[in-house]
Amino acid sequence: MTYRTRFDQELEALKLSLIRMGDLVIKNIHASLKSFLDMNSELAEIQIKKDQEVNESEYKIEKECMRIILREQPVAKDLRLITSILKMITDLERIGDHAVDIAKLTVFMEKSNKAFFVDEIHHMVDKSEDMIKLALESFVNHDLDLANQVVQMDDIVDQDFYAIRQIVADAIRNRKIDADYAIYLMMVAKYLERIGDHAVNLAEWVIFSIAGKHVSD
Amino acid sequence: MKEKVFNIRNLNLFYGDNQALKAIDMDIMSHEVTALIGPSGCGKSTFLRCLNRMNDLIDDVTIKGEVIYHDKDVYKKNFDVINLRTKVGMVFQKPNPFPMTIYDNIAYGPRCQGLKKKKALDEIVESSLKKAALWDEVKDRLKDSAFDLSGGQQQRLCIARAIAMEPEVILMDEPTSALDPIATLKIEELINDLKENYAIVIVTHSMQQAARISDQTAFFLLGELIEQNDTDIIFSNPKNKKTENYITGRFG
Repeated sequence: MTYRTRFDQELEALKLSLIRMGDLVIKNIHASLKSFLDMNSELAEIQIKKDQEVNESEYKIEKECMRIILREQPVAKDLRLITSILKMITDLERIGDHAVDIAKLTVFMEKSNKAFFVDEIHHMVDKSEDMIKLALESFVNHDLDLANQVVQMDDIVDQDFYAIRQIVADAIRNRKIDADYAIYLMMVAKYLERIGDHAVNLAEWVIFSIAGKHVSD
Repeated sequence: MKEKVFNIRNLNLFYGDNQALKAIDMDIMSHEVTALIGPSGCGKSTFLRCLNRMNDLIDDVTIKGEVIYHDKDVYKKNFDVINLRTKVGMVFQKPNPFPMTIYDNIAYGPRCQGLKKKKALDEIVESSLKKAALWDEVKDRLKDSAFDLSGGQQQRLCIARAIAMEPEVILMDEPTSALDPIATLKIEELINDLKENYAIVIVTHSMQQAARISDQTAFFLLGELIEQNDTDIIFSNPKNKKTENYITGRFG
């Protein structure tokens, strides 16, 4: 029996808002990368504008967290949950910014830039998105093991980054890649690598929320 | 330097056949505020009263176990209870000044102990009222009745009265539950100052108060000490599910 039905409902609604924000961010990464690979500047422009939705989500969740802190004065697991959400939305917002960064590169690209396809970039974006999805899943299901798995997955994304760097470096040496495109491609890979780092942060806050211990403790 | 003031071991208390405290083990440290929390009837006030043997005044009480105060069990025969109560002062939920002047309220204890010199009493009254952060508000009206003071002032007077006996420990049983928020904050600030010199054990129903002012928090439930730990840990990451359920309000 609990006497905090309304509070519990508010926390559930807050979790749902976080998941929605996460979904939005994942979609934005996907579309931004597509705009880059397809050299589709129209799609890129749309994605740049969509970042506003992510920023609004962050603002709304932040406001709701502050309202709950003010009214409910949460402690223990509730305090950890709200603290974690406040930290996680910052990471999601940064991920959203990196999606925009990728879309902006598409806009900067000249039509004359010749695309150079690297399979690893697809693997890298799939893994980065998986990391975000699984971090959010571990949050919803209170799954400590899954959150720990996400932390480990960062190595795969890092390996992809180094593999792409090697492929691009070889292509430069062999003059198989457009110089500008090589720079853009490496920047995209770096943004994806940073997205992986933020997904790790998400998982670390999930671990804190569940176990009360942050990795940096 | 913090040191152990009370060492409570396997303390059991019965009101008739009803067991109100079950095998309590706890240490009370000097220069610390220890908060006792838990639902009504969980035994926290009963435990508090064990520390200066206030339960002696209740009929049909049986106490088993040890309450060691500086290497001596306060429940051993021939233990000097009067001396214990001077060293372990108490402040109650409702301010209870004596029906006399502000000055006489403070001087009452020292006088009972035989102190008669006016100068010495004046000094005790002034220093006690200063320590209780009340001196500036009453220094010009020491001959007024204590009942002329506001509730918050009366409570600080009661704290000053306890301090006048030069105690080592101050027990407080919900000392702010009858006070408004400003008077409450004054008492809380005072408690923070007082721990420089005393060990303080406080019973409170306000979780926020326990989180604000205490160093250690002990959670009682149905006569058992469920968990005692650093206050920061209790309110951020309690180890026991029962503690978590209680402090997060999911208790039934």
